[in-house]
Amino acid sequence: MLTLVEEIVLLMLDDEGSVLPIRETTMEYVVAGAVLMDLAFANRIDTDPEKLVVLNTQPTGNPLLDGVLARIVESDETRSVAHWVETVARHDAKSAREGALEKLIERGILERRDERFLWVFESRRYPVIDGRAEREAKLRIAGVLLSDDFPDPRDVAMICLVDACNLLPDIFSNREIDKVGPRTEQLRKMDLIGREIGGAIAEIERSIMIAMTQTPH
Amino acid sequence: MDIEEEKQGSLVIVSPIGRVDGVGAPDLEKRFSDIAERGDFRMLVDCARMDYISSAGLRTLLIGARKCQQNGGGLTVCALQPECRQVMEISGFLAILKSYDTRDEAIAAQAGADGG
Repeated sequence: MLTLVEEIVLLMLDDEGSVLPIRETTMEYVVAGAVLMDLAFANRIDTDPEKLVVLNTQPTGNPLLDGVLARIVESDETRSVAHWVETVARHDAKSAREGALEKLIERGILERRDERFLWVFESRRYPVIDGRAEREAKLRIAGVLLSDDFPDPRDVAMICLVDACNLLPDIFSNREIDKVGPRTEQLRKMDLIGREIGGAIAEIERSIMIAMTQTPH
Repeated sequence: MDIEEEKQGSLVIVSPIGRVDGVGAPDLEKRFSDIAERGDFRMLVDCARMDYISSAGLRTLLIGARKCQQNGGGLTVCALQPECRQVMEISGFLAILKSYDTRDEAIAAQAGADGG
């Protein structure tokens, strides 16, 4: 089974293997949240609305997660989930995303393709060579959002991540998006780390909007 | 965390005592699993003596509710203490999980649903 970081990084790619148009900061917060969620599912950390605590300092064996776990363990005081989402986004998200891409290549899901554009500019894509994991993830998300059944907690976490980087239009048609809106709204509150990512991204977007609409003196 | 369990008709009442956090939640999950293995899928979680619930605890309730629903039963909660109620409200759990103020109310509702 893919980790949440691997799964969300896979879903951030389009059919040609290029990254979908997602704001860099959004991507960092979402990857940071996915790492923290993976640590929670591995029973290494636990959260409540006020704080994040370490349950088990033992490494998971996954270097993508263990660097972040070590950072949290080394911290001298208990901090909020929001603090850790921001810290991991700033310090670890880039390497976690690269690590997840490497892992997806290792698993035979993606391949790396380096190309030159206009003979000068280099570009790197990650085309999907085995589409099963991506299809299965999208089907699972669709299944949860189109039903009223109690969801699996891991699927709730995934839906928070997908919604935070606005990837639902990649899974549903316009008509379906309206239909799954209330259910998405309901589920994205259910994961406390997911809630913090959503809140942090909304805050960033609000600041950008304010900056864009301010008239220069 | 301690867990008490009793059966009233087809309803299994599970009472977690103390903190349902990353340390206690695996025990509660195991208890739900043991009850389900006996073929009982109607569960009431009496939260009167549960004084804290974390994300791990919420996930455990969700796993239990899912398991009961998949087998034609259901999981409800009752007697939530203010702090736990607040966490469950913030996280939207009370919008999907049926909650009663008291154990008696929950049992009566269950009896009504059974037609008794």
